[in-house]
Amino acid sequence: MKRTAGLAAVTTLLCAGCSAMGIEPWERDILAKDEMQLTTDEIEAATDDHIYFSKEASSGGRGFGGGGCGCN
Amino acid sequence: MNRKDSRSISATLAAATCSLLGAGIPAPVDAQEEPAWDFNTSLLYYGEDDDRVKDYSVSAIARRMFVDDRFLTIGLTVDVLTGATPSGAIKQDVPQTFTRPSGDGAYTVAAGELPLDDTFKDTRAAFTVGWQQPVGETSLINIGASASREYDYTHIGLNAKFARDFNRRNTTVSAGIALSMDNLDPVGGAPTALTPMRDVGDKSNRRGDEDKDVFDIVVGVTQVLSRNLVVQANYSYSNSDGYLTDPYKVLSLVDGTTGDTLSRVPTPGVDGPSHQFLFENRPDDRTKHSLYGQAKYYMNGKVLDASYRFMTDDWEIDSHTVDLRYRIPFGADRYFEPHLRFYTQTEAEFYRLSISDSQPLPSFASADYRLGDFDAITLGMKYGWKTRDDNEMSVRVEGYRQTGSIPGSQIIGSQATRDNYPDLNAIIVQFGYRF
Repeated sequence: MKRTAGLAAVTTLLCAGCSAMGIEPWERDILAKDEMQLTTDEIEAATDDHIYFSKEASSGGRGFGGGGCGCN
Repeated sequence: MNRKDSRSISATLAAATCSLLGAGIPAPVDAQEEPAWDFNTSLLYYGEDDDRVKDYSVSAIARRMFVDDRFLTIGLTVDVLTGATPSGAIKQDVPQTFTRPSGDGAYTVAAGELPLDDTFKDTRAAFTVGWQQPVGETSLINIGASASREYDYTHIGLNAKFARDFNRRNTTVSAGIALSMDNLDPVGGAPTALTPMRDVGDKSNRRGDEDKDVFDIVVGVTQVLSRNLVVQANYSYSNSDGYLTDPYKVLSLVDGTTGDTLSRVPTPGVDGPSHQFLFENRPDDRTKHSLYGQAKYYMNGKVLDASYRFMTDDWEIDSHTVDLRYRIPFGADRYFEPHLRFYTQTEAEFYRLSISDSQPLPSFASADYRLGDFDAITLGMKYGWKTRDDNEMSVRVEGYRQTGSIPGSQIIGSQATRDNYPDLNAIIVQFGYRF
């Protein structure tokens, strides 16, 4: 119960923190650039995910880890 | 005013009247956004040294934009794989003969060489389709399907993702689920777990095909922190259920004192294994948890992309991944992007170099190097430029190196004198074109 209350307090604080952060709509010139998107090149990201999924025991994180390949 | 002028004015007035009445003008949505296709394509070469795996791959993602910010995305990838992959058996000071996975032939590996299975040849085609559209003023929904086909593997998947913006669109909360239903139809049939590799033509321990289901959940928050800094944090849960064993991998059955693989004699007149090898076995359930964080920071034209992932699972594998990319523009439309990635993982609880004949047979065992304890580093450079007609091209060259180690407690007798976990070196060359 104490733990839940603590978690709720932290979440509330974080959310309150979030609402104070950020920028105005007219300040989005930089974030709107292609190179500032979280994934700049979908194919390159998919290629890397596929290579590392095939060669390592971890997958996903950025998106779904899923299956889809007999390589692991 | 002459006659011609008056006719011209009446035509203009008629057109204006029609416009006011809403006739003969394009629908407003069409006027705002012109539907169009965008293509992102790539050619990839991935090659490992020592005649190991080589992959030639062609990919294309086509995106059609519709009015009101709706998108259809279609992706296609074709991979052609060749080369050899470690079978799981250990090196010996004498040549070793193995029955091929098909059960229809045999191959021999020279003394002192790491046993590689060279029958590894495959073509893989993967297809994805996705639909994205806004829901109300601040939300977005994305649904998709995927399918892929290899000679011995079929995948079908469905996924859905929902994202909602808060706080003047500075905070985005997202949640997604994915289901994957896969079928494995191994060459020669899936072997019964932990049974010995048999002579050529003896398929008494081979069964039919196998299934695997994967269920994924990802929840995340993206937060704009300032005009030039955006961060993301994700938690993901992934459960795999079904046949998670690699049907082509084996373990060497070794003498508990000398560490040498026990020899065997094939039936007279028939080719077969020269030593004793057991097919591996993994648990049929695996649950992974991952935490992922990413930051993108804009510094006077340069962009730093940094991410970190921690993964832990119930096979006792823990891993850490750090990925750094730094985009440096030069001139009006060119850039360089160095890339550094570091990865480290602990071994699965059932990973072992070999199986000792002086110990009881374990329930689960695998000598797959990908389940071992290793570090990996990727170093790369990408160069991108815009063509005269404003399309984008890029080329990247990267080197990948895996360095593993076997726990001392697993090394028996003569095994200490050999390099049991040879380094893996690979090169990645990718050419991209967007138009």
